[in-house]
This record gives sequence, C-alpha cells and structure tokens, in this order.
Amino acid sequence: MTVEEQIRDIVANIVHVDKAIITRDSTFKDIKADSLDIVQSLVAVEDAFDIEIPDEEAQNFQNFGDFVDYVESHAAEKEKA
Amino acid sequence: MPFKGKLALVTGSGRGIGRAIALKLASQGADIIVNFFRHRETAEKTAKEIQAMGVKAQVIRANVGDPAKIDEMFNTIGNDWGYLDIFINNAASGVGRSAMDVDVKAWDWTMDINAKAALLCAQRAAKLMEGRGGKIVSISSLGSSFVLPTYAIVGISKAALEAITRYLAIELAPKNICVNAVAASAVETEALKFYIKEGLVKDTRQVTPAGRMVIPEDVAKVVAFLCSEEAFMIRGQTIIVDGGTSIAPFIPAGKEESQ
Repeated sequence: MTVEEQIRDIVANIVHVDKAIITRDSTFKDIKADSLDIVQSLVAVEDAFDIEIPDEEAQNFQNFGDFVDYVESHAAEKEKA
Repeated sequence: MPFKGKLALVTGSGRGIGRAIALKLASQGADIIVNFFRHRETAEKTAKEIQAMGVKAQVIRANVGDPAKIDEMFNTIGNDWGYLDIFINNAASGVGRSAMDVDVKAWDWTMDINAKAALLCAQRAAKLMEGRGGKIVSISSLGSSFVLPTYAIVGISKAALEAITRYLAIELAPKNICVNAVAASAVETEALKFYIKEGLVKDTRQVTPAGRMVIPEDVAKVVAFLCSEEAFMIRGQTIIVDGGTSIAPFIPAGKEESQ
C-alpha cells in the first residue's frame, strides 16, 4: 500500500466517508471533515508513520495532496536518519 | 526556593497556562518535565527558558488522550529520574458543541484527554511519589459548574476532573500526597483566541469585578501556592481564580452600586 493509500484509508475511516471521494485536490471541507476530524486525522497519521506534524505546518495544507506530500517527505527523512 | 531539588511534570506546558505554571515552578527551584503534544517548537522554547533559570528541563511528547502514550511518558520519567514530586494535570482539549450536539466522537476525545488522562496520569504519578509525598494539581474551569455557550463537553469533563480531584485527595492522603484543582474563568491565552473568534467570549474586562482578565500567571501563582507546604491542609479543593466574576452575576463590573 502506498503512503497516499494508507493516509486515504485513515482519513476515510475517521471522517466516515467513502475513500473514493478523497482525491489529491480534496480539501477537508470538501469531504465534510470538522475540526475534530482534522485533528484526529493528523494524530492517526502521525502515529501510523511515526512522524510529527506541527499544527503550524498542517495549517498550510491546501488539500489532501499537500498532506500526503508532507508525510511522504518527512517519513522518508526519518528512514534516512 | 521551596521546590529546589523537586521534579515537576506539567502536561501541556509548551504554551498558555501550562507554560506559565512550568516557568513559575522552575523559578522556585523545580526541575521540569515539559510535556507537549501538538507544538514542539514552543515546548522546546519553554524548556530553554527553564534551563536559563538554572534548573533542569526535559521535553516529552505525549498525547495524554492515549493510555499507551501515558505509559510511555511515565516509563521514560521512571527510567530517567526514578521519582516525581509534583504533577500538574493541565493538558486539555475540547470540541465546541452544545450538549444536544455532542456525539460519541466528541465525548470520547474530550473525556479521554481532560478526565481519563487525569486519573491515569495521577495513578502513575502517585507511584513515582512513593515514599516522598507529593502534590497533584489539576487545571479546571468555571465551565465545570456553570453553563457556558458550546462548552458542554468540556464543562462535563472538567466536572469529572474535579470529582477525580476529590477522590484522589482522600485516597492519596495516607501517602502524603496533596491533591487539589484550580478553576479559572476565561484566561488570556492562545487557546482562548479560538473562543473569541467564534464569538463565545466577550471582552471579559467588562464582566470581571477585579478589572482585568485573568492571565496565565494568575493561575500559576495559585498552583505554586497549592504545591507549597503552606497549602498542606488544603485537600480535594477546587480554588476559583476569576477576579470575582462567578459570584457577582448581577453586578455590571466597573459600575459602583448606588447606595
């Protein structure tokens, strides 16, 4: 499973939506995620990939694609370390 | 330096009230475990400020809403220090909902972080205080006893927190552990900005008899007092820090009562 697929699964599960509606261009608003869904998604992804996503960084995510890109680059950094 | 040689864990001490408490205890000699979850940068900054005071600081990341992470945090403290003297249960979270709109997810999230964590952390803290005595202070809010708009689940969790405080105060008294809580009205912090943005908090200067808003340092001073030996016989209490707000709902602040 790719990183993107894993994150999609996590978010779909937390927000209770069909993962098919989550595209790289989707925003949290598009998939009707509320503030609690967003925090819980961040926390679950942090746990799954053993990374930290500071709220300051998360606020810059324009869409699901940005979220995935951030996780991919930071999980990769962790692999190298 | 009443806390010289003492070790204090302050959950959620990267910012706001937790940070003020950590700095206050450090200024009085305590070594500090700075726990955070979402904001590492501010936690590291707080730790540096603490170290500049000549005491030790250790930053530990932990989501206290997750019992496994609580265990990890206390295992680390046990391994690195082997003891604890002060536990400040400050970390809190919440969802702005009316009681009729609280769903299971909001209930679980808020109760896990604000109430369950308090009990689970206190259980571990008490073990590290074995043979030394100790102090446990939780941070509550007026919302535990009064109804605030869209504060239902947070208020409910704080009411549970205050009950936990009473039970622990009695159960831990034989171990020389003093347990209390501090409840504040709206405190000028980063977290409050959310409530102000949502229009839930008016300028409280207009409603506070004492003439200004409660700031984190006001809470920190009372917490430090409760952690001192001067407060030894205060057990299971929730001390209200609100500039008089809660006891004068019918008197507009800033106006003198006509005789």
